[in-house]
Amino acid sequence: MILNTILLAASPVLAPAPTIPVGGLFALKVGKAETVSDGTIPHAVILVEDGKIVVVGEDLPIERGIPVIDLGPDSVAIPGLVNCYSRQGMDSRGGNDSSPELKASAEVFPQFEDYPELLEAGITTLACYPAGNGIPGRAVAIRPKGDTAEEMILADDIYLKIRLRSNSSSKKMIGDGFREADEYIEKEKKAREKWEKAKEKYDKDKKKYDKEKKDGKEPKPVKEVGPYTPPEPNGKAVAFQQLRDKELRALIAIGTAGDYVHLIDAIDEEEFDWDLRVPVSRSLNLFHVKHEIGLLECRVVMEPTLSTHPNTLRIRNLPKELADEGAKLVLIPRSDNLSSQKQWLANTGELIGAGLSREAALRAMTLEPAEMIGLGERLGSLSAGKDANILFFKGDPFEPGTKVEAVMLEGEIVSGEVN
Amino acid sequence: MKTLKKHTALITTTTLAAFLFALPASSLPFLGDEEEKKDEEEEVEKVPEEDKDAWFYVHNADIHTGTGTILRGAELLAKNGKIVEIGYDLEVPGRDYYTDMPEEKIDFRVETLDAQGMWVYPGIVAISSSGLTGTSGDFRGSIDPFSQNMVLGLGAGITSTGSGRAAVKLKRYVSHDPPLPYDFDGIVLRDSTYVSMSYSGGNARRSLREKLEKAAVYLRKYRQWEVDVKRDKELKEPSKKSVDSSALQVLKGEIYPRFRASEREDLLAIARLAQEFGFRPIIDGCREGWTVADELGRAGAMAILTARDRRDKSENLVRPGGSSIENAAKLAAAGIPVAIIPSSKGIGLDGIVGRDIIHLPVEVGFAIRGGLSEELALASITTVPARMMGIGHRVGTLEVGKDCDLIVTDGDLLHYQTFVQYTVVDGQLVYDKEAELFYAHIRPRPEVEVAPEVVIDAGENPEEEEEETEEEGEEEEEEKEEEKDED
Repeated sequence: MILNTILLAASPVLAPAPTIPVGGLFALKVGKAETVSDGTIPHAVILVEDGKIVVVGEDLPIERGIPVIDLGPDSVAIPGLVNCYSRQGMDSRGGNDSSPELKASAEVFPQFEDYPELLEAGITTLACYPAGNGIPGRAVAIRPKGDTAEEMILADDIYLKIRLRSNSSSKKMIGDGFREADEYIEKEKKAREKWEKAKEKYDKDKKKYDKEKKDGKEPKPVKEVGPYTPPEPNGKAVAFQQLRDKELRALIAIGTAGDYVHLIDAIDEEEFDWDLRVPVSRSLNLFHVKHEIGLLECRVVMEPTLSTHPNTLRIRNLPKELADEGAKLVLIPRSDNLSSQKQWLANTGELIGAGLSREAALRAMTLEPAEMIGLGERLGSLSAGKDANILFFKGDPFEPGTKVEAVMLEGEIVSGEVN
Repeated sequence: MKTLKKHTALITTTTLAAFLFALPASSLPFLGDEEEKKDEEEEVEKVPEEDKDAWFYVHNADIHTGTGTILRGAELLAKNGKIVEIGYDLEVPGRDYYTDMPEEKIDFRVETLDAQGMWVYPGIVAISSSGLTGTSGDFRGSIDPFSQNMVLGLGAGITSTGSGRAAVKLKRYVSHDPPLPYDFDGIVLRDSTYVSMSYSGGNARRSLREKLEKAAVYLRKYRQWEVDVKRDKELKEPSKKSVDSSALQVLKGEIYPRFRASEREDLLAIARLAQEFGFRPIIDGCREGWTVADELGRAGAMAILTARDRRDKSENLVRPGGSSIENAAKLAAAGIPVAIIPSSKGIGLDGIVGRDIIHLPVEVGFAIRGGLSEELALASITTVPARMMGIGHRVGTLEVGKDCDLIVTDGDLLHYQTFVQYTVVDGQLVYDKEAELFYAHIRPRPEVEVAPEVVIDAGENPEEEEEETEEEGEEEEEEKEEEKDED
């Protein structure tokens, strides 16, 4: 709405002075803003107030008095990057158990020394998952800046990580979890029935007691029945009930196309929201099921890596192939170390060079992961109402030589300098 | 030569129909509500893809059924993975009947394979192998339906194999649109196909004999009890305590025991034991079997052997021994069912070609060289192994009621030049030589036009016409060609 009115005001025919509120706000002028949600805006003006983007538009007139940061005609702004699959700053070790109640948020360590460097690399949001195989637990979304864990955590329980392998015991995990939830429902129902019976009996006895007392007799005292307390569910039952109720989504890590077929078998009739995590190995054979994954329209979390057709040297661009089939691509750095995080944009550039569309690539690093971790309303694009997490470049961000000039986190420059 | 037709256009056409229906409904809001409801209900009645009968139809083929019959230019029809008819002039749904069924009511899909000039055989059954399914156990939980080895196996014509104790199918994942669930339960044909027994060496002989004796005693008591219990219902069932369960299974005839033995003395001992206790042994190895073929035959033994096994006999012995290329032929002549397996049961992609599991027909060739008939040679990689594993009622031959597991080859399966062109498992095309990277480049299928279109205009003399309007004629021809291209 605001955008529309301002754009109208900007046209020379309707000349009245624009009414941009003057307050604790400032304007950014960039040569080009790649908004992700609304395409690329040349000569963009981004108005920021209290860490939020107020409006983004082309050549918006800026009222006198509002501080303007002009980054020059060759500057490019993109939304802050969202790395939704990381263990940066965490150091616990996991087992092979099914422990869906565990939270990565307990591991957040604000003093981690690499957070400033992550910000420098343009990563303004980080989602961390608990370590381990099986069902290691729930992931947390953080901003890599803050003095306390509370200050850093953006959202908790953003996804439940499940690691599935092609074997009976691994496949059983998912079914077992849902059975646990079923058993709890049954148990709870029985406990309630028992309580209701006790309550009924109590009401009857109480009436009798009152009557006898009224008649002047000395009745037997009646044992009180307290309010109903449901039995304590275990962590598995809670997590899988949450999955079923779609309060929680699952990120299921698989390794091959075969794993995918086993996953579909393991999920059976259960309905819950899930996304896929597939590490791009040298001869990943996921192309066998790309059509099936595309039809599901689920997200696929992958590295920006070109792979080869198994046992050949033929290059395959699996992220592109999946995106073309309709899967929602989410990219993460090639590996979870600092140098890969710094190379993330350039590595993604290689995929673009090999045919992946530029829009899909940028979306896969910003809005798509933001939506996956449930923060799509707040992060991931340059649009009104969202956090002012903005990266500034001189030149194409996907070119290997281009560096992040400055990083803005919620309206504050946290790395680099702007005039 | 290659004509593969799939009825896959159903989905697109039905969505189109839905779209066309939506248009008049929205543009004519005065239509009766009831009519609209009726239409909607019809829409719902569409047969879901999962419930559709899957037909498979192969025609124009020389069908070697594996039972000794060869049907020239014949047809085979399968429904939901089982063969329903083999013969001539078969009726195919969608072609001969159900031709004007409305699309949303079509409850079948037909896959057609024109095998003009090709040979059809039952799928090969490898008596044992390793690594063809991407796993060695827990098949339902960990099979890799995209395993490269499985594709190589199917490319070699193998459709079922013994893997460990189990008999499994090489079930590849087949993409459908929309996707159909993978049939995990269809992988395992039989969980336990044999029991291992050893009768080589003093201790092994003592312990096995003891086990069999105890089992025989128990079995006798049990049979007696079965009779007596009808008269006296309170009679107790004889105790199974200290009775070996596999020995019991063998004596009951529920499962074949498999012995690993090659030396003549061991073979004879096994033959005597089998005759004494009345069971049929499978002898894996059987190198010196040719020297005692009659004795083994009388004992009802069966043999698994490698046709190009080579080993000299022990120099200490005067009697005939060692390996012989005639082994398979001599055993077969004594009435022993022979299954043939290469020396390497896995897939070897280095060293010398042709000695691994994907060269079963080549291995069999050596048995033929030694005198085995071609018919028995084919049986040694189809019916015999299927029966040995107790899955002969499902696979091994092409017969009505059996699984539609077949291979289509460009010639005699036992000829060294022959390639498997197509492999079908459970009525689904799972391998096409031209579609895989392995052998597609070797002698690609020629695109043979069986009856090229020849237009002969009887009433005209083409030569005269050319002379009269040579230039114009050429121009016209060019124009015609252009028109054709546009068509």
